[in-house]
Amino acid sequence: MIELAAVRKRFGRHAVLDGIDLQVPTGARLGIIGPAASGKSVLLKLVCGLLRPDAGQVMIDGTDITERSEEGLAATRARIGFLFQNYALFDFMTVGDNVAFPLARRGGLAEDEIARRVSARLRAVGLAGNEAKMPAELSGGMKKRVGIARATIAHPEIVIYDEPTAGLDPVTTSKVYDLLRADQETTGATVIAVSSDVEALCRFVDTVAFLYQGKIRYQGAAQTLTDAPDPVVRQFVRGDLEGPLEG
Amino acid sequence: MRGLIELWGVFVSTIAGMIRGGRPKGEIVRQMHAIGNKSMLFIAVTLGFIGMVMIYQACMQFNRVTGDLSQVGVQFIRLVTSDFAPTLTGMMLATRVGAGIAAEIGSMKVTEQVDALRMSGVLPVDYLIVPRFIASVVMTVVLTTLGGAIMYVAGGLTAHYQFGVNLKIFFDLSLLNPAHLSLGLVKAVTYGAAIPVVSGFCGLRAKGSSEGVGWATTAAVIGSSLAVLLLDFILSVAGFFVLGEALR
Ligand SMILES: Nc1ncnc2c1ncn2[C@@H]1O[C@H](COP(=O)(O)OP(=O)(O)O)[C@@H](O)[C@H]1O
Ligand SMILES: [Mg+2]
Repeated sequence: MIELAAVRKRFGRHAVLDGIDLQVPTGARLGIIGPAASGKSVLLKLVCGLLRPDAGQVMIDGTDITERSEEGLAATRARIGFLFQNYALFDFMTVGDNVAFPLARRGGLAEDEIARRVSARLRAVGLAGNEAKMPAELSGGMKKRVGIARATIAHPEIVIYDEPTAGLDPVTTSKVYDLLRADQETTGATVIAVSSDVEALCRFVDTVAFLYQGKIRYQGAAQTLTDAPDPVVRQFVRGDLEGPLEG
Repeated sequence: MRGLIELWGVFVSTIAGMIRGGRPKGEIVRQMHAIGNKSMLFIAVTLGFIGMVMIYQACMQFNRVTGDLSQVGVQFIRLVTSDFAPTLTGMMLATRVGAGIAAEIGSMKVTEQVDALRMSGVLPVDYLIVPRFIASVVMTVVLTTLGGAIMYVAGGLTAHYQFGVNLKIFFDLSLLNPAHLSLGLVKAVTYGAAIPVVSGFCGLRAKGSSEGVGWATTAAVIGSSLAVLLLDFILSVAGFFVLGEALR
Protein backbone atom coordinates (compact mmCIF):
# COMPACT_ATOMS: atom_id res chain seq x y z
CA MET A 1 0.00 0.00 0.00
CA ILE A 2 1.27 3.41 -1.01
CA GLU A 3 -0.13 6.33 0.92
CA LEU A 4 0.38 10.04 0.54
CA ALA A 5 -0.99 12.24 3.30
CA ALA A 6 -1.20 16.04 3.04
CA VAL A 7 1.88 16.13 0.81
CA ARG A 8 3.11 19.56 -0.21
CA LYS A 9 5.95 20.41 -2.54
CA ARG A 10 6.99 23.82 -3.76
CA PHE A 11 9.83 25.00 -5.99
CA GLY A 12 10.72 28.55 -5.07
CA ARG A 13 7.46 30.45 -4.78
CA HIS A 14 5.58 28.01 -6.99
CA ALA A 15 3.52 25.51 -4.96
CA VAL A 16 3.41 22.52 -7.31
CA LEU A 17 1.64 20.10 -4.97
CA ASP A 18 -0.57 21.68 -2.37
CA GLY A 19 -1.97 18.97 -0.11
CA ILE A 20 -2.12 15.60 -1.85
CA ASP A 21 -3.95 12.70 -0.26
CA LEU A 22 -3.74 9.50 -2.21
CA GLN A 23 -3.90 5.79 -1.50
CA VAL A 24 -2.87 3.00 -3.81
CA PRO A 25 -3.68 -0.46 -2.47
CA THR A 26 -1.22 -3.28 -3.14
CA GLY A 27 -1.74 -4.77 -6.58
CA ALA A 28 -3.88 -1.86 -7.78
CA ARG A 29 -3.37 0.03 -11.03
CA LEU A 30 -3.70 3.77 -10.67
CA GLY A 31 -3.57 6.24 -13.53
CA ILE A 32 -2.71 9.88 -12.95
CA ILE A 33 -3.78 12.50 -15.45
CA GLY A 34 -3.65 16.27 -15.46
CA PRO A 35 -2.62 19.28 -17.50
CA ALA A 36 1.04 19.81 -18.44
CA ALA A 37 3.23 20.99 -15.54
CA SER A 38 0.53 20.13 -13.00
CA GLY A 39 3.12 18.16 -11.01
CA LYS A 40 2.51 14.59 -12.17
CA SER A 41 6.20 13.79 -12.52
CA VAL A 42 6.95 15.51 -9.21
CA LEU A 43 4.30 13.35 -7.53
CA LEU A 44 5.88 10.16 -8.90
CA LYS A 45 9.33 11.22 -7.70
CA LEU A 46 7.98 11.90 -4.23
CA VAL A 47 6.65 8.35 -4.07
CA CYS A 48 10.12 6.85 -4.41
CA GLY A 49 11.99 9.50 -2.45
CA LEU A 50 13.79 11.07 -5.39
CA LEU A 51 12.26 14.32 -4.15
CA ARG A 52 11.37 15.13 -0.57
CA PRO A 53 8.05 16.75 0.32
CA ASP A 54 8.06 20.07 2.18
CA ALA A 55 5.24 18.77 4.36
CA GLY A 56 3.17 15.63 4.72
CA GLN A 57 4.00 11.95 4.60
CA VAL A 58 4.75 9.36 1.99
CA MET A 59 4.19 5.89 3.39
CA ILE A 60 5.03 2.62 1.72
CA ASP A 61 3.52 -0.38 3.49
CA GLY A 62 3.04 1.67 6.60
CA THR A 63 6.54 3.12 6.93
CA ASP A 64 7.22 6.78 6.35
CA ILE A 65 9.99 7.23 3.80
CA THR A 66 10.21 11.01 3.98
CA GLU A 67 12.70 11.09 6.82
CA ARG A 68 14.95 8.36 5.45
CA SER A 69 18.50 9.03 4.36
CA GLU A 70 19.60 8.26 0.82
CA GLU A 71 21.17 4.99 2.05
CA GLY A 72 18.04 4.15 4.02
CA LEU A 73 15.92 4.55 0.91
CA ALA A 74 17.89 1.97 -1.07
CA ALA A 75 15.93 -0.99 0.28
CA THR A 76 12.62 0.66 -0.61
CA ARG A 77 13.81 1.69 -4.04
CA ALA A 78 14.96 -1.85 -4.78
CA ARG A 79 11.25 -2.76 -4.69
CA ILE A 80 10.33 -0.03 -7.17
CA GLY A 81 10.78 0.07 -10.94
CA PHE A 82 10.69 3.54 -12.45
CA LEU A 83 10.26 4.57 -16.06
CA PHE A 84 11.38 8.17 -16.43
CA GLN A 85 9.49 10.54 -18.66
CA ASN A 86 12.61 11.23 -20.74
CA TYR A 87 13.88 7.63 -20.52
CA ALA A 88 16.99 8.57 -18.48
CA LEU A 89 18.94 5.77 -20.15
CA PHE A 90 22.62 5.75 -19.19
CA ASP A 91 24.17 7.13 -22.34
CA PHE A 92 27.63 5.70 -21.58
CA MET A 93 26.32 2.11 -21.51
CA THR A 94 24.94 -0.25 -24.12
CA VAL A 95 21.24 -1.04 -24.21
CA GLY A 96 21.99 -4.46 -22.70
CA ASP A 97 23.96 -2.97 -19.80
CA ASN A 98 21.21 -0.43 -19.22
CA VAL A 99 18.57 -3.10 -18.87
CA ALA A 100 20.88 -5.29 -16.79
CA PHE A 101 21.79 -2.45 -14.42
CA PRO A 102 19.15 -2.95 -11.69
CA LEU A 103 19.86 -6.70 -11.63
CA ALA A 104 23.63 -6.30 -11.71
CA ARG A 105 23.55 -3.75 -8.86
CA ARG A 106 21.50 -6.08 -6.73
CA GLY A 107 24.08 -8.85 -7.07
CA GLY A 108 23.61 -12.55 -6.46
CA LEU A 109 23.07 -13.48 -10.10
CA ALA A 110 25.58 -15.01 -12.48
CA GLU A 111 26.47 -12.96 -15.52
CA ASP A 112 25.02 -15.40 -18.05
CA GLU A 113 21.78 -15.55 -16.07
CA ILE A 114 21.56 -11.75 -16.18
CA ALA A 115 22.29 -11.79 -19.92
CA ARG A 116 19.56 -14.38 -20.45
CA ARG A 117 16.99 -12.31 -18.57
CA VAL A 118 18.03 -9.15 -20.38
CA SER A 119 17.53 -10.69 -23.79
CA ALA A 120 14.18 -12.16 -22.71
CA ARG A 121 13.05 -8.74 -21.47
CA LEU A 122 14.22 -7.02 -24.63
CA ARG A 123 12.34 -9.59 -26.69
CA ALA A 124 9.21 -8.89 -24.63
CA VAL A 125 9.38 -5.18 -25.47
CA GLY A 126 10.01 -5.95 -29.13
CA LEU A 127 13.69 -5.07 -29.19
CA ALA A 128 15.30 -8.51 -29.44
CA GLY A 129 18.94 -8.44 -30.42
CA ASN A 130 19.56 -4.76 -29.66
CA GLU A 131 21.79 -5.42 -26.64
CA ALA A 132 24.97 -4.06 -28.18
CA LYS A 133 23.50 -0.77 -29.44
CA MET A 134 24.10 2.49 -27.63
CA PRO A 135 21.03 4.49 -26.51
CA ALA A 136 21.98 7.33 -28.87
CA GLU A 137 21.38 4.99 -31.83
CA LEU A 138 17.74 4.39 -30.88
CA SER A 139 14.57 6.25 -31.77
CA GLY A 140 12.44 7.82 -29.05
CA GLY A 141 9.96 4.96 -29.06
CA MET A 142 12.74 2.39 -28.77
CA LYS A 143 14.32 4.27 -25.87
CA LYS A 144 10.97 4.30 -24.12
CA ARG A 145 10.72 0.54 -24.49
CA VAL A 146 14.29 0.05 -23.24
CA GLY A 147 13.27 2.18 -20.26
CA ILE A 148 10.29 -0.11 -19.66
CA ALA A 149 12.56 -3.16 -19.87
CA ARG A 150 14.95 -1.63 -17.33
CA ALA A 151 12.09 -0.65 -15.00
CA THR A 152 10.62 -4.14 -14.95
CA ILE A 153 13.63 -6.45 -15.24
CA ALA A 154 13.96 -7.06 -11.51
CA HIS A 155 10.24 -7.88 -11.06
CA PRO A 156 9.61 -4.96 -8.72
CA GLU A 157 6.58 -4.97 -6.44
CA ILE A 158 5.81 -1.40 -7.43
CA VAL A 159 6.15 -0.09 -10.97
CA ILE A 160 5.91 3.59 -11.80
CA TYR A 161 5.53 4.65 -15.41
CA ASP A 162 5.91 8.32 -16.31
CA GLU A 163 4.38 8.81 -19.76
CA PRO A 164 5.07 5.29 -21.07
CA THR A 165 3.59 6.08 -24.49
CA ALA A 166 4.34 9.76 -25.09
CA GLY A 167 5.57 10.22 -28.65
CA LEU A 168 4.58 6.71 -29.78
CA ASP A 169 2.22 5.99 -32.64
CA PRO A 170 -1.25 4.55 -31.82
CA VAL A 171 -0.34 0.97 -32.74
CA THR A 172 2.83 0.98 -30.66
CA THR A 173 0.87 2.64 -27.85
CA SER A 174 -1.59 -0.26 -27.80
CA LYS A 175 1.29 -2.75 -27.90
CA VAL A 176 3.02 -1.05 -24.99
CA TYR A 177 -0.14 -1.05 -22.87
CA ASP A 178 -0.75 -4.72 -23.73
CA LEU A 179 2.76 -5.42 -22.51
CA LEU A 180 2.31 -3.41 -19.31
CA ARG A 181 -0.97 -5.19 -18.62
CA ALA A 182 0.48 -8.64 -19.28
CA ASP A 183 3.40 -7.82 -16.99
CA GLN A 184 1.16 -6.57 -14.23
CA GLU A 185 -1.08 -9.61 -14.47
CA THR A 186 1.83 -12.02 -14.09
CA THR A 187 3.62 -10.14 -11.31
CA GLY A 188 0.63 -8.63 -9.50
CA ALA A 189 2.66 -5.47 -9.00
CA THR A 190 1.22 -2.19 -7.79
CA VAL A 191 1.26 0.19 -10.74
CA ILE A 192 1.12 3.97 -10.96
CA ALA A 193 1.07 5.32 -14.49
CA VAL A 194 1.01 8.90 -15.71
CA SER A 195 -0.15 9.49 -19.24
CA SER A 196 -1.52 12.22 -21.45
CA ASP A 197 -3.15 9.58 -23.62
CA VAL A 198 -6.19 9.34 -21.37
CA GLU A 199 -8.12 6.88 -23.49
CA ALA A 200 -5.36 4.30 -23.76
CA LEU A 201 -4.46 4.77 -20.12
CA CYS A 202 -8.03 4.14 -19.02
CA ARG A 203 -8.01 0.77 -20.75
CA PHE A 204 -4.99 -0.20 -18.63
CA VAL A 205 -5.70 1.15 -15.13
CA ASP A 206 -8.61 0.57 -12.73
CA THR A 207 -8.68 3.96 -11.06
CA VAL A 208 -7.79 7.40 -12.32
CA ALA A 209 -6.77 10.44 -10.31
CA PHE A 210 -6.98 13.88 -11.85
CA LEU A 211 -4.29 16.27 -10.66
CA TYR A 212 -5.23 19.92 -10.98
CA GLN A 213 -3.85 23.07 -9.34
CA GLY A 214 -1.82 21.15 -6.79
CA LYS A 215 -4.60 18.88 -5.60
CA ILE A 216 -6.24 15.61 -6.56
CA ARG A 217 -9.36 17.12 -8.01
CA TYR A 218 -11.08 13.85 -8.79
CA GLN A 219 -10.52 10.17 -8.23
CA GLY A 220 -12.72 7.45 -9.63
CA ALA A 221 -13.10 4.34 -11.75
CA ALA A 222 -11.40 4.51 -15.13
CA GLN A 223 -14.46 3.33 -17.06
CA THR A 224 -16.71 6.12 -15.88
CA LEU A 225 -14.19 8.93 -16.28
CA THR A 226 -15.91 10.57 -19.27
CA ASP A 227 -19.09 10.86 -17.21
CA ALA A 228 -17.41 12.38 -14.18
CA PRO A 229 -19.67 14.85 -12.39
CA ASP A 230 -16.94 17.50 -12.22
CA PRO A 231 -17.10 19.73 -15.32
CA VAL A 232 -13.34 20.45 -15.14
CA VAL A 233 -12.56 16.74 -15.34
CA ARG A 234 -15.05 16.20 -18.14
CA GLN A 235 -13.62 19.05 -20.15
CA PHE A 236 -10.05 17.77 -19.71
CA VAL A 237 -10.90 14.20 -20.59
CA ARG A 238 -12.97 15.10 -23.61
CA GLY A 239 -10.53 17.75 -24.77
CA ASP A 240 -13.17 20.47 -25.09
CA LEU A 241 -11.94 23.97 -25.78
CA GLU A 242 -14.79 25.64 -23.87
CA GLY A 243 -15.19 25.13 -20.15
CA PRO A 244 -13.98 25.94 -16.64
CA LEU A 245 -10.47 24.40 -17.02
CA GLU A 246 -7.76 27.03 -16.54
CA GLY A 247 -4.57 26.95 -18.59
CA MET B 1 27.48 29.72 2.62
CA ARG B 2 25.03 26.83 2.45
CA GLY B 3 26.74 25.92 -0.81
CA LEU B 4 30.09 25.68 0.99
CA ILE B 5 28.63 23.38 3.61
CA GLU B 6 27.14 21.17 0.89
CA LEU B 7 30.49 21.22 -0.92
CA TRP B 8 32.17 20.05 2.26
CA GLY B 9 29.51 17.33 2.48
CA VAL B 10 30.39 16.13 -1.02
CA PHE B 11 34.06 16.02 -0.05
CA VAL B 12 33.33 14.01 3.09
CA SER B 13 31.12 11.53 1.25
CA THR B 14 33.76 11.22 -1.48
CA ILE B 15 36.28 10.14 1.14
CA ALA B 16 33.70 7.81 2.68
CA GLY B 17 32.83 6.53 -0.78
CA MET B 18 36.44 5.54 -1.41
CA ILE B 19 36.13 3.12 1.50
CA ARG B 20 32.57 2.05 0.67
CA GLY B 21 33.39 1.08 -2.89
CA GLY B 22 30.50 0.66 -5.28
CA ARG B 23 32.14 2.31 -8.24
CA PRO B 24 31.98 0.73 -11.69
CA LYS B 25 34.78 -1.64 -12.65
CA GLY B 26 37.59 -0.19 -14.73
CA GLU B 27 36.22 3.31 -14.26
CA ILE B 28 39.29 4.70 -12.47
CA VAL B 29 41.58 3.63 -15.30
CA ARG B 30 39.19 5.08 -17.86
CA GLN B 31 39.06 8.37 -15.97
CA MET B 32 42.84 8.45 -15.55
CA HIS B 33 43.14 8.07 -19.27
CA ALA B 34 40.54 10.76 -19.88
CA ILE B 35 42.19 13.21 -17.49
CA GLY B 36 45.81 12.37 -18.23
CA ASN B 37 45.85 11.80 -21.94
CA LYS B 38 43.76 14.78 -22.85
CA SER B 39 45.75 17.18 -20.70
CA MET B 40 49.30 15.95 -21.20
CA LEU B 41 50.18 17.90 -24.34
CA PHE B 42 48.28 20.94 -23.10
CA ILE B 43 50.25 21.04 -19.86
CA ALA B 44 53.58 20.23 -21.48
CA VAL B 45 53.23 23.10 -23.95
CA THR B 46 51.92 25.62 -21.42
CA LEU B 47 54.46 24.91 -18.71
CA GLY B 48 57.27 24.65 -21.23
CA PHE B 49 56.56 28.11 -22.61
CA ILE B 50 56.06 29.67 -19.19
CA GLY B 51 59.41 28.16 -18.13
CA MET B 52 61.13 29.71 -21.12
CA VAL B 53 59.58 33.12 -20.57
CA MET B 54 60.37 33.14 -16.86
CA ILE B 55 64.01 32.26 -17.34
CA TYR B 56 64.31 34.77 -20.15
CA GLN B 57 62.94 37.51 -17.93
CA ALA B 58 64.97 36.45 -14.93
CA CYS B 59 68.23 36.35 -16.89
CA MET B 60 67.52 39.77 -18.39
CA GLN B 61 66.94 41.23 -14.94
CA PHE B 62 70.04 39.58 -13.47
CA ASN B 63 72.13 40.79 -16.38
CA ARG B 64 71.00 44.33 -15.77
CA VAL B 65 71.85 44.18 -12.04
CA THR B 66 74.73 41.81 -11.31
CA GLY B 67 75.41 39.86 -14.47
CA ASP B 68 75.84 36.71 -12.37
CA LEU B 69 73.55 34.04 -13.81
CA SER B 70 74.98 31.09 -11.87
CA GLN B 71 72.18 31.15 -9.27
CA VAL B 72 69.27 31.25 -11.72
CA GLY B 73 68.89 27.49 -12.25
CA VAL B 74 69.37 26.65 -8.60
CA GLN B 75 66.64 29.04 -7.52
CA PHE B 76 64.41 28.15 -10.43
CA ILE B 77 64.13 24.45 -9.59
CA ARG B 78 63.19 25.29 -6.01
CA LEU B 79 60.39 27.54 -7.19
CA VAL B 80 59.24 25.10 -9.85
CA THR B 81 59.08 22.24 -7.39
CA SER B 82 57.42 23.99 -4.51
CA ASP B 83 55.01 26.14 -6.46
CA PHE B 84 55.09 26.70 -10.21
CA ALA B 85 54.70 23.10 -11.33
CA PRO B 86 51.80 22.10 -9.06
CA THR B 87 49.98 25.42 -9.17
CA LEU B 88 50.22 26.01 -12.92
CA THR B 89 49.25 22.39 -13.57
CA GLY B 90 46.41 22.80 -11.10
CA MET B 91 45.17 25.93 -12.85
CA MET B 92 45.30 24.24 -16.24
CA LEU B 93 43.49 21.15 -14.95
CA ALA B 94 40.91 23.30 -13.18
CA THR B 95 39.76 24.61 -16.55
CA ARG B 96 40.06 21.44 -18.60
CA VAL B 97 39.24 18.68 -16.18
CA GLY B 98 36.84 20.82 -14.17
CA ALA B 99 34.79 21.74 -17.23
CA GLY B 100 34.77 18.12 -18.44
CA ILE B 101 33.62 16.69 -15.13
CA ALA B 102 30.91 19.32 -14.62
CA ALA B 103 29.59 18.91 -18.16
CA GLU B 104 29.48 15.11 -17.93
CA ILE B 105 27.87 14.92 -14.51
CA GLY B 106 25.68 17.95 -15.18
CA SER B 107 24.18 16.48 -18.32
CA MET B 108 23.54 13.22 -16.48
CA LYS B 109 21.78 15.24 -13.81
CA VAL B 110 19.47 17.15 -16.14
CA THR B 111 18.61 14.05 -18.18
CA GLU B 112 17.63 12.29 -14.93
CA GLN B 113 20.36 9.66 -15.30
CA VAL B 114 21.49 10.59 -11.80
CA ASP B 115 17.96 9.86 -10.54
CA ALA B 116 17.99 6.57 -12.45
CA LEU B 117 21.23 5.65 -10.65
CA ARG B 118 19.65 6.53 -7.32
CA MET B 119 16.68 4.30 -8.15
CA SER B 120 19.08 1.37 -8.45
CA GLY B 121 20.47 2.07 -5.00
CA VAL B 122 23.59 3.82 -6.28
CA LEU B 123 24.97 6.83 -4.44
CA PRO B 124 25.85 9.34 -7.19
CA VAL B 125 28.93 10.53 -5.30
CA ASP B 126 30.32 6.98 -5.05
CA TYR B 127 29.58 6.15 -8.65
CA LEU B 128 30.42 9.41 -10.39
CA ILE B 129 32.75 11.47 -8.22
CA VAL B 130 34.91 8.90 -6.43
CA PRO B 131 36.51 7.39 -9.58
CA ARG B 132 37.17 10.87 -10.96
CA PHE B 133 38.58 11.91 -7.58
CA ILE B 134 41.08 9.05 -7.40
CA ALA B 135 42.03 9.43 -11.05
CA SER B 136 42.46 13.17 -10.68
CA VAL B 137 44.68 12.94 -7.59
CA VAL B 138 46.97 10.43 -9.29
CA MET B 139 47.07 12.22 -12.63
CA THR B 140 47.63 15.66 -11.10
CA VAL B 141 50.75 14.35 -9.38
CA VAL B 142 51.91 12.68 -12.60
CA LEU B 143 51.21 15.75 -14.73
CA THR B 144 52.81 18.06 -12.16
CA THR B 145 55.98 15.99 -12.32
CA LEU B 146 55.93 15.98 -16.09
CA GLY B 147 55.05 19.67 -16.37
CA GLY B 148 57.68 20.65 -13.83
CA ALA B 149 60.36 18.65 -15.64
CA ILE B 150 59.50 20.24 -18.96
CA MET B 151 59.42 23.70 -17.43
CA TYR B 152 62.84 23.13 -15.87
CA VAL B 153 64.39 21.79 -19.05
CA ALA B 154 62.81 24.50 -21.23
CA GLY B 155 64.12 27.13 -18.80
CA GLY B 156 67.58 25.58 -18.78
CA LEU B 157 67.82 25.46 -22.56
CA THR B 158 66.71 29.08 -22.78
CA ALA B 159 69.36 30.11 -20.27
CA HIS B 160 71.99 28.15 -22.16
CA TYR B 161 71.24 29.21 -25.73
CA GLN B 162 70.16 32.80 -25.08
CA PHE B 163 72.41 33.76 -22.20
CA GLY B 164 75.24 31.26 -22.44
CA VAL B 165 74.67 29.75 -18.99
CA ASN B 166 76.57 26.51 -18.54
CA LEU B 167 74.11 23.60 -18.50
CA LYS B 168 75.90 21.93 -15.60
CA ILE B 169 75.60 25.07 -13.52
CA PHE B 170 71.92 25.55 -14.38
CA PHE B 171 70.88 21.96 -13.73
CA ASP B 172 72.42 21.91 -10.27
CA LEU B 173 70.04 20.20 -7.86
CA SER B 174 72.17 20.54 -4.74
CA LEU B 175 69.99 23.22 -3.11
CA LEU B 176 66.74 21.35 -3.72
CA ASN B 177 65.69 19.59 -0.55
CA PRO B 178 62.85 17.33 0.63
CA ALA B 179 60.92 20.32 1.96
CA HIS B 180 60.39 21.69 -1.55
CA LEU B 181 59.46 18.32 -2.89
CA SER B 182 56.99 17.57 -0.14
CA LEU B 183 55.36 21.00 -0.36
CA GLY B 184 55.00 20.52 -4.12
CA LEU B 185 53.58 17.05 -3.65
CA VAL B 186 51.09 18.19 -1.02
CA LYS B 187 49.93 20.96 -3.34
CA ALA B 188 49.50 18.61 -6.30
CA VAL B 189 47.51 16.13 -4.24
CA THR B 190 45.33 18.86 -2.77
CA TYR B 191 44.54 20.43 -6.14
CA GLY B 192 43.92 17.01 -7.64
CA ALA B 193 41.41 16.37 -4.88
CA ALA B 194 39.76 19.80 -4.97
CA ILE B 195 39.08 19.99 -8.71
CA PRO B 196 36.81 16.91 -9.08
CA VAL B 197 35.01 17.61 -5.81
CA VAL B 198 34.20 21.22 -6.75
CA SER B 199 33.34 20.33 -10.35
CA GLY B 200 31.35 17.22 -9.47
CA PHE B 201 29.44 19.25 -6.91
CA CYS B 202 28.63 21.88 -9.57
CA GLY B 203 27.55 19.13 -11.99
CA LEU B 204 25.25 17.49 -9.44
CA ARG B 205 23.64 20.87 -8.80
CA ALA B 206 22.84 21.46 -12.48
CA LYS B 207 19.18 22.23 -13.01
CA GLY B 208 16.82 22.48 -15.94
CA SER B 209 18.20 21.63 -19.36
CA SER B 210 21.34 22.21 -21.41
CA GLU B 211 21.44 25.78 -20.19
CA GLY B 212 21.79 24.44 -16.66
CA VAL B 213 24.75 22.34 -17.79
CA GLY B 214 26.35 25.48 -19.21
CA TRP B 215 25.95 27.26 -15.90
CA ALA B 216 27.33 24.28 -14.02
CA THR B 217 30.38 24.11 -16.30
CA THR B 218 31.16 27.80 -15.91
CA ALA B 219 30.70 27.58 -12.16
CA ALA B 220 33.01 24.55 -12.05
CA VAL B 221 35.82 26.29 -13.93
CA ILE B 222 35.61 29.42 -11.80
CA GLY B 223 35.18 27.44 -8.59
CA SER B 224 38.06 25.04 -9.27
CA SER B 225 40.42 27.82 -10.34
CA LEU B 226 39.60 29.83 -7.24
CA ALA B 227 40.04 26.73 -5.12
CA VAL B 228 43.52 26.17 -6.58
CA LEU B 229 44.53 29.79 -5.95
CA LEU B 230 43.13 29.80 -2.45
CA LEU B 231 44.71 26.46 -1.56
CA ASP B 232 48.02 27.64 -3.02
CA PHE B 233 47.95 30.59 -0.67
CA ILE B 234 46.93 28.53 2.35
CA LEU B 235 49.46 25.77 1.68
CA SER B 236 52.27 28.22 0.95
CA VAL B 237 51.67 30.02 4.24
CA ALA B 238 51.27 26.73 6.11
CA GLY B 239 54.40 25.35 4.43
CA PHE B 240 56.31 28.42 5.49
CA PHE B 241 55.32 27.88 9.11
CA VAL B 242 55.77 24.11 9.18
CA LEU B 243 58.87 23.74 7.04
CA GLY B 244 60.29 27.19 7.73
CA GLU B 245 64.10 27.21 7.39
CA ALA B 246 64.19 24.24 5.05
CA LEU B 247 62.44 26.18 2.29
CA ARG B 248 64.88 29.06 2.33
N1 LIG C 1 13.57 19.91 -9.83
C1 LIG C 1 12.75 20.95 -10.08
N2 LIG C 1 13.14 22.21 -9.80
C2 LIG C 1 12.32 23.26 -10.00
N3 LIG C 1 11.10 23.16 -10.53
C3 LIG C 1 10.65 21.94 -10.86
C4 LIG C 1 11.46 20.77 -10.66
N4 LIG C 1 10.75 19.69 -11.07
C5 LIG C 1 9.58 20.18 -11.51
N5 LIG C 1 9.50 21.51 -11.39
C6 LIG C 1 8.35 22.36 -11.74
O1 LIG C 1 7.19 21.76 -11.21
C7 LIG C 1 6.11 21.87 -12.10
C8 LIG C 1 5.53 20.50 -12.38
O2 LIG C 1 6.44 19.73 -13.11
P1 LIG C 1 6.15 18.25 -13.58
O3 LIG C 1 5.80 17.42 -12.41
O4 LIG C 1 7.31 17.80 -14.40
O5 LIG C 1 4.88 18.44 -14.51
P2 LIG C 1 4.10 17.32 -15.32
O6 LIG C 1 2.74 17.27 -14.70
O7 LIG C 1 4.00 17.83 -16.73
O8 LIG C 1 4.85 16.04 -15.22
C9 LIG C 1 6.65 22.55 -13.34
O9 LIG C 1 6.26 23.90 -13.30
C10 LIG C 1 8.13 22.41 -13.23
O10 LIG C 1 8.76 23.51 -13.80
MG1 LIG D 1 5.89 14.94 -16.46
